[in-house]
Amino acid sequence: MLPVERIIGEEGLRLRDGKLSLAMRLPWYRSLPFSTVEFAGLSIDGNPVSLERATIEYDGDSWPLSQNGEKVDSFWFVRDSAFLCLSDPALENGEEHEVALTINVNPPYIPGMKRANSQVETLRVQS
Amino acid sequence: MTTATGPQVGVTLYSYTNEWLTRQFDLPGLMQEVANREQGPNIEIIGFQNFKEFPDVSDDFAAKFKDLVAETGLNPVSCAINSDRFLKPGQQPIEDVALVEYHKRQLRSAKKMGFSLVRYQFALPVHLLPEIAPYAEEIDIRMGVEVHAPMWAGHPAVQAYAEMYDKLDTPVLGWIPDFGGTASRIPESMLDAARAAGASEDLLDKLKEVWLEDGMSHEKAGRLREWALTNGHAPAHIQAASLAFFILSNNDPKSWAQLVDRTIHIHGKFYGVDDDGVEEAIDYETILPLFRDGGFTGTIVSEWEGHAYDTRDAFEQVRRHQAMCRRILAS
Repeated sequence: MLPVERIIGEEGLRLRDGKLSLAMRLPWYRSLPFSTVEFAGLSIDGNPVSLERATIEYDGDSWPLSQNGEKVDSFWFVRDSAFLCLSDPALENGEEHEVALTINVNPPYIPGMKRANSQVETLRVQS
Repeated sequence: MTTATGPQVGVTLYSYTNEWLTRQFDLPGLMQEVANREQGPNIEIIGFQNFKEFPDVSDDFAAKFKDLVAETGLNPVSCAINSDRFLKPGQQPIEDVALVEYHKRQLRSAKKMGFSLVRYQFALPVHLLPEIAPYAEEIDIRMGVEVHAPMWAGHPAVQAYAEMYDKLDTPVLGWIPDFGGTASRIPESMLDAARAAGASEDLLDKLKEVWLEDGMSHEKAGRLREWALTNGHAPAHIQAASLAFFILSNNDPKSWAQLVDRTIHIHGKFYGVDDDGVEEAIDYETILPLFRDGGFTGTIVSEWEGHAYDTRDAFEQVRRHQAMCRRILAS
């Protein structure tokens, strides 16, 4: 995998205070507005996870995933991780799970281009 | 700073994209490494790659960046800015007035950090130049539009810009050639990466054939895709083989002569320089003398794009490329 293809972040999967957060990296060479990034799918151990109530956390800020398409002036710095957060995870600390994530990027200066990126990793839930 | 007597050789930090994305360096560390290896002093930085605060850089960050420039002895020549028009996928582009302001924000940040020019993009509709150029004049920063594949000197978009440049007649507007538009062949290292991803030789032979045909990049990619699917090639292999259509075109290397006069900066695009000092795909022996003999005295920044498919050491590639450029320029 090339560095630019990595979408599961170095910080992995964490469970704290009942909230699960998955670190994500932007699969592009430069920062992009969050509105041009689609968090297209998450499966854990092969089971699709509903993202209806998920939130995005980034750099001290957080917003519902459902509002992500409106974040036209919030930039995801390409060197940073953003976090996909779920408040009702059926996971426990210390367990290992297979996590499959899909992120689509729509570079805002290349009309019509959509690049889909998927990655599957076995991650240990950290506290 | 040296007095320019001919083309200078420098580097864009984009060459080190893999080292950046894998967090081997932070910005001070990367700039210091470039200085230590003497791959500057003239550098280009993509605003949205290396500056977290872009497009609106604070006074505090700008001051820190200037300190860093002073410590490393680097010279921030070019800041690459972007024409981000499509902020909501599948929807209409942003309003012209917002796009003009977006450019001004980036120009302001680049100026504040001490860059002497910006790279901008053809995604900026040409009719908006009369609204942006006066601002660049006012704050005293030059703007070079990047002539990047599939563009080249003879492309209609380049001609439309040239007409507007004639009309506005200002020294702040110019060209930034990117040599990927005049590649002589697909780099073997790119073909090797497609092979490693599983693409077979008959698919790559067809790629080489279609790449040389006439037509727009996406049309040619579609042509290859159709042929490949009919002939049983896997989508992942087709995807690996198709990269060449989007970053390289095979227009005449001598065509750059038409743009020399207004060239303010150059992207020395390259993919791999061999042990004999020859680039795999781009005919530097033909191209560089056009600029040297045409009086260009700006910077040719080494722009290694092999990182799009390869994890070779970027610093070694840049070292080889700069040695090649210096050899050709001195000949």
